[in-house]
Amino acid sequence: MDRVLPYVIFAVVLAMAALLLLIGITEAPVNAAGVAHDTIPAMQAGGDGAARLKAIGGYAFAFNCMLLLFAILLCVLSVSPGKRTPAFFGWMTITFAVNILVWQQMYFQHQAFLETGDTGWFLGFPTATAWQVYGVWFAGVVMIAIYSAGFRRYILSEEDERRFEELLRESRDSQE
Amino acid sequence: MEAYRHEIILGTIILYMSLCVLIGLWSMGRTRNASDFFIAGRTLGPIVVSLALFASTLSGFGFVGGPGLVYSIGVSSFWMVVISATAFGLGFFLVSKRIRMIAELRGCMTIPDVIAARYGSELARLLVAVTIVLGVLGYLATQILAMSVVMQAILADTEMFADISLLSCVVLSSTVLVFYCVTGGVIASVYTDVLQGLVMMVAGFLILITAMQTFDGGLREASEIVLADDGESMMPFGAAGIITSLGWFFIFGIGLAGQPHIVTKMMMNKNLADNRSILPLSLLGYVVAALLWISIGLVMRAVVVSGGAEPLTLPDDAAATFLALFASPLLAGIVFAALFAAIMSTSDAFLNIGTAAIIHDIPRAVRGRPVENELLWARVVTVILAVVAAGFALFSYYRDATLVALLGAFGWSTFAASLFPVLAIGLNWKRATTAGAVAAVSSALAINFIVQLAGITLPWGITGGLAAFVTSLVLFFGVSYATPLPRLARDIDRVMEI
Repeated sequence: MDRVLPYVIFAVVLAMAALLLLIGITEAPVNAAGVAHDTIPAMQAGGDGAARLKAIGGYAFAFNCMLLLFAILLCVLSVSPGKRTPAFFGWMTITFAVNILVWQQMYFQHQAFLETGDTGWFLGFPTATAWQVYGVWFAGVVMIAIYSAGFRRYILSEEDERRFEELLRESRDSQE
Repeated sequence: MEAYRHEIILGTIILYMSLCVLIGLWSMGRTRNASDFFIAGRTLGPIVVSLALFASTLSGFGFVGGPGLVYSIGVSSFWMVVISATAFGLGFFLVSKRIRMIAELRGCMTIPDVIAARYGSELARLLVAVTIVLGVLGYLATQILAMSVVMQAILADTEMFADISLLSCVVLSSTVLVFYCVTGGVIASVYTDVLQGLVMMVAGFLILITAMQTFDGGLREASEIVLADDGESMMPFGAAGIITSLGWFFIFGIGLAGQPHIVTKMMMNKNLADNRSILPLSLLGYVVAALLWISIGLVMRAVVVSGGAEPLTLPDDAAATFLALFASPLLAGIVFAALFAAIMSTSDAFLNIGTAAIIHDIPRAVRGRPVENELLWARVVTVILAVVAAGFALFSYYRDATLVALLGAFGWSTFAASLFPVLAIGLNWKRATTAGAVAAVSSALAINFIVQLAGITLPWGITGGLAAFVTSLVLFFGVSYATPLPRLARDIDRVMEI
């Protein structure tokens, strides 16, 4: 696992680069990145959102899945191999699942709005935007909870601190 | 109270500036050597580091440009804010432990010091130091310009200073900043960050309350107005579209761990175990302060769309117009103080790391040894750097905006693209080589420069920063795998085992 993980991360990076390239070479509809507002200067409107998603929605969806996977794999890489217990992998899998759930809800609720023009509401925002505003934040908080609550188990144990103190002592001794 | 609006706003700002000066004077006695000046001697507690970390993250852009972006392109720019939890989390997972360990083990004072220790390469140190200096000049120039323009607008409303020039405002605002940076170095910088962070949190919270009361139906009514005018603007990808939004997700979410002014703060805490509490505290501060970004932008868009106010000439006027229309004089004073706090907390961090790169890292990389009397030179170079950045800012304003725009391109995305692979991944992956690091930094600089200089517009709203970031990651891994296995110093190897 220790040797394979960086290769997997590299593969994810290559997949993101390939998806970005595919998006770049796909013919863009008019005003793919917005259009001037009809009546109000210095304000942009969205243009044809459905046309945008039709052309590259699948690539964009996959790109963000890869991005979320990239973030989780980097967290795994940062934890020393000896501390990557089954429980740690379990928590990381849950974090990834929460992130993917938030992303797919946001994406498909947006797509449903484009098709029907209707939306539900949650705490002041349309449902898709509420998934973005509250969901993305919450998904990140899961990662932070694992870091803080699992600090001694996964990040820096008391044994690690002793090893580091010993390293510092050896370094000072060798300088003297 | 309303009759004294300008006086109250001015009084609040003068009070805030005076506190910054006092902190500078207090810190002077605690700054005895270069280590104190650059990393506060690694003596800071968790609350100070948390507030300093988030205050440095949220610059003047969050208080002026952020609401302006929401006004202009709708929900697209929410991505820069909502990704903060993932960004802080990833930054702490990847960087906070090992950077602090290497800093103590090798006596590192700067990010290029850590890079040189990790890769055993003076070339890598030099490249990173040069990147930081270029970025610092651009960032500082834009921050000083923003601070001076806001100060001029506030003073112009008073009788006494009605005709004050922009030059006078540049001198006035930069003097306070330079004073506390020169006298107290990073100790003054982090303790002013504490004050600045608290002011920003208070402002963010009070603005959210005010924004929710602007419409009878609260934020939902504002959202409904924006949605009815243009559905896409109120949807997750806003007017800028899905690729621009995901690009910001990438650059701001992943790239925080490559921001030198932020990760430098991770070298300053007294105890390694404090990281456990620093992370959630930093995020909490950032989220509360950033409420201002989302709420002002959304409400101003709704107010203008519904005909409640004249359209803004510039999107960046959103915050100032909101304060003039809806905030009490005292709240307006607090928010303007928070704006100065946001600008100054980022600027002092940049002054500090820019000075360190010039007097500490570049001489080491080129001559193999530091300058004599680093503390004295640190103070001299801090002044020179601020004067040069202020000069850039004025030149840009009166003559040619290209220079600052060009240096401004060396902002968040260039730091993210060039430093994230080298620092954040390099501290966790022993196979990363010097050649990989050099390829990543060089490609990120080149792509950002070329896109900016040639005025290239990529399709689908793909930003130059996103293209540079993905390319540098590919090259970092690819070149590292293609070059021989690196031989790490024994102590660095052991740190990377922990």
